[in-house]
Amino acid sequence: MMNIISSFTRIRLIAGTTFLEAVRQKFFSSILLISVALVGSSAFLQQFDFGTGELKFIVDFGFGALLFFGSILSITATAQLFFNEIENRTALTLLAKPVHKIEFLTGKFLGVLILLFCFTSVITLVLSIILFWREISLIQRIGDDLSLEGSLIRYSDVFLFGFLQWMKFGILSAITLFVASFSNTNLYTIIVSFFVLVICQLQYIARDVYSLMEAGWERFLVMLLGLVFPNFQIFNIGDQLVFNANSVIPAATIIQVSAYALIYCASFVLLAQVNFHRREI
Amino acid sequence: MNSPAIRIRNLTKDFSVGIRGVKLRAVDDLCLDVSKNEIFGLLGPNGSGKSTTIKIILGLLKASSGDCEIFGQPSMRVSARKSVGFLPEAPYFYRYLTGRELVRYYARICMIDRSEIDDSVDDVIELVGMTEAANRRVGTYSKGMFQRIGLAQSLVHDPDLVILDEPTAGVDPLGSAAIAEIVRELKHRGKTILLSSHLLAQIEGLCDRVAILHRGKLIREGRIEELVEEGDTDSLVVQGLSVEGRIAVENAIKAQGGLLTRVEKPRLSLDAYFLREVHQREAEHEEIINKSIE
Repeated sequence: MMNIISSFTRIRLIAGTTFLEAVRQKFFSSILLISVALVGSSAFLQQFDFGTGELKFIVDFGFGALLFFGSILSITATAQLFFNEIENRTALTLLAKPVHKIEFLTGKFLGVLILLFCFTSVITLVLSIILFWREISLIQRIGDDLSLEGSLIRYSDVFLFGFLQWMKFGILSAITLFVASFSNTNLYTIIVSFFVLVICQLQYIARDVYSLMEAGWERFLVMLLGLVFPNFQIFNIGDQLVFNANSVIPAATIIQVSAYALIYCASFVLLAQVNFHRREI
Repeated sequence: MNSPAIRIRNLTKDFSVGIRGVKLRAVDDLCLDVSKNEIFGLLGPNGSGKSTTIKIILGLLKASSGDCEIFGQPSMRVSARKSVGFLPEAPYFYRYLTGRELVRYYARICMIDRSEIDDSVDDVIELVGMTEAANRRVGTYSKGMFQRIGLAQSLVHDPDLVILDEPTAGVDPLGSAAIAEIVRELKHRGKTILLSSHLLAQIEGLCDRVAILHRGKLIREGRIEELVEEGDTDSLVVQGLSVEGRIAVENAIKAQGGLLTRVEKPRLSLDAYFLREVHQREAEHEEIINKSIE
């Protein structure tokens, strides 16, 4: 029992230091500032003629910025923080202490996860503020026609979408950690991880093909590919819900998607451990 | 509990190189014992297998064959590292932390009891002479200070074995002398120290025993005085001898069946000379300042 508590304490300490190190890097603040500026500027990027259309534009723009910069941050921050430890030999000083390699990797992963949580929270919050401001303004300007429909935006869905994206970034970070565990350079890790991101985004194609194929080794191969690479489209379920008052995502679906993300995160971190265990540091 | 601090038996480490996996032997059938409470020097040119050996001792690398134990425990066991402190060559630490925060972080990683952390951190910071700079950010430290705070993090959990990989690399002679003094103090406190260094003059004045590696093989091992003594020769250091006196001594040596092979002036090492001169100037400087204050 003491061992488990000690292990969690070490993971927490490594995660905390990883997070602090990441936050103090210029890369993170730059990405965050650009994303906030982009989301903030979305309100000024179109004519204010068309009530709900404007809000939809802001939502799409905000979600797009979150997806794009969040993916960049997930991959680059994970790769950078991992290789910083290796190249600067801080990994040596840590692993020369009574620290298991899995604790080190989990700590790194959780540190990045906290960073991504902060990023996603800030972007979602800024997006919600902009949406609220525009919604109030639109209701005041256009008035009764819109107010008859009640609230234009369901804000809980904005945060739900942010939460789902955060989990997706978590998987992406775990994949990057896995690639970094056998790769020798930061650049190689980043390039391969971006390829994997594209595959995961387009993974639904493999699933469609698989459902149309006849039984055989080719079907098995496509099915295997569909299992190895997570389907990132699953996490976009909140996208259509922000404006649709009649459709609420069931809690069971959220739990299933969360479990899906957790399984992939755990699997990729464990696979990273298999490689990292044999790796010369 | 009579096991040595480090016990290495028939240790071999091969690395696979290239796509075809050609084997490169970094350590070749190494056998070595490091006794408790000794300062042991691991010497050898670049690529001789020193760092690989250290990494295997620390359990960071798995040996291809052979055994390595720390105080009787297999080195691959994480629990074996509870009694080991390590300072890598040219370390880098989290620059945004202060020296004290950094040492405290490593203390917490080592699961030192919360009630003891502050004392442990203060003790090691004082030991390495970093008390005044402990609250400054690590990013502002000089090379010598970096090494000293690195030494502090390696000692914070009070390990019995301290492994130092090139502890004085890139450090000026004064800093090197300070680190050597800390190493002596550690021995005085009952620790075992394994250090690898290219600075042979420093090793010579510090280590009890050394091992010389070449291409992964152990080529020499023993006490320094045994390794460097010149066969059956003796040296006499004489002061104030006249020419006649010297002739008489030479004749006496001849009469006893000996042969005078070399007459030379005893010399200080450049390290010792440099330190003596600098310390002398420092003392003079302090005296002037004290006088001016009075």
